[in-house]
Amino acid sequence: MYPEMPKMITPMMNNTDDAADNANLHLTAAFLADYASLLLGCGATCIRTEKNTRRMAGALGYGFDITILPTHVYVWIWRADVARRYMAVRKTAACGISFHLNALLSRLSWEVADNHLDFPTAVRRFKSICDTPPTGKLEVLLLTSLANASFCRLFGGDVIAMLIVFFSTLLGYKLKQIMLEEGCDVRFTFLCASFFSATFSAGGHIFGIGNTPEIALGTSVLYLIPGVPYMNAVSDVLYRHYLCAFSRFIDAAILTACLSAGLCAGMLILGMKWF
Amino acid sequence: MTLNAILISVFEDGLFAAIAAIGFSSISNTPRRAYFTCGLIAAIGHSIRYVLTLPDCTGMHIILASGMSSFAIGVLAVLLASRIKCPAEVCFFPALLPMIPGMYAYRTIEALLSCLYYSQEETFAYYFHQLAYNGLTCTFIVLSMVVGATIPVFLFKKLSFTATR
Repeated sequence: MYPEMPKMITPMMNNTDDAADNANLHLTAAFLADYASLLLGCGATCIRTEKNTRRMAGALGYGFDITILPTHVYVWIWRADVARRYMAVRKTAACGISFHLNALLSRLSWEVADNHLDFPTAVRRFKSICDTPPTGKLEVLLLTSLANASFCRLFGGDVIAMLIVFFSTLLGYKLKQIMLEEGCDVRFTFLCASFFSATFSAGGHIFGIGNTPEIALGTSVLYLIPGVPYMNAVSDVLYRHYLCAFSRFIDAAILTACLSAGLCAGMLILGMKWF
Repeated sequence: MTLNAILISVFEDGLFAAIAAIGFSSISNTPRRAYFTCGLIAAIGHSIRYVLTLPDCTGMHIILASGMSSFAIGVLAVLLASRIKCPAEVCFFPALLPMIPGMYAYRTIEALLSCLYYSQEETFAYYFHQLAYNGLTCTFIVLSMVVGATIPVFLFKKLSFTATR
């Protein structure tokens, strides 16, 4: 799930005089690249990734630079007294958004900077963070369903609409969990989950249950809106990381298009006159 | 609307916003210790927007009200993040989610498909108007929300980036 360490390191200018020093630079570059890759993958903004990694490199006694691209991260480190630079490149970790990991990794960077953790301890802490389990699936399923039902209420839905939204979210989100576990494409998963939720909640519209069936139908797919990538995109724009901002925005827009398509397909199959 | 009715509506609005924020934050694997703070910030932010848009109070436009309440959410997130040792984004991202203009987005898609479905000029013009109105409102609400919440992080940069220290 998370990157293993260390992997590929490319020495830019090779000097074999000091093998131990070279090895340290190799390992540190690999560690920092893995750290940055995981932090980006778990949904941190570019500015946070840059600041945290720079903080750790500084505390470990190295000069540092980073290039963040939409799917890769390049880390460069060097010693002030030696004209040698080392680069490590990693693909952004595909671990899904996790604020828990984000918080733990940010804390690790401060521990390295403030408590002067030595390199092996920092690596050990990092590996234990990589093994952090995600929130329980049942807990997420129930909380998300409750959240979407509350969302329906905020938009003016009645109690029956809230119940419809609760169950349609429960079914749609469960389908999303199963499909992602099976390794299905995330866009196809969003389309299917949206279709499933919309079809279920359209029952209120078709059978005339409750006074606000259109709100139930409209709200039933909103749990799929990728809010975090949209907000990260704006944050990246503010800090002039335009490439990553654009990439995050397009990713989120494609997922939004998929959930809209699922909603429309549900309407079409049920023979509803669109809306 | 009487003061009592307004207070009850504000409480109800805050309560459902808090539940929505906690639920949506769980999708992003938010640490459990942050749930209460996320819910509290969401409740305060959403209630501020609700009060600002009430015709009996200020009757402010939803775009401006969203920007102002998001700014409040951003400030609260920056201030409270260090208490739970989490980055500010962990607090304000979930708190913003209940303010996402889902119904405007839904009506935009509805209008878009209706534009494709109806070819008569008058009906088409009506749905095209709906498409532009809902689409623009939705876009500007989201922009004002995100910019409003990000400004405090930008202004109090040192505080924002030392929350996990």
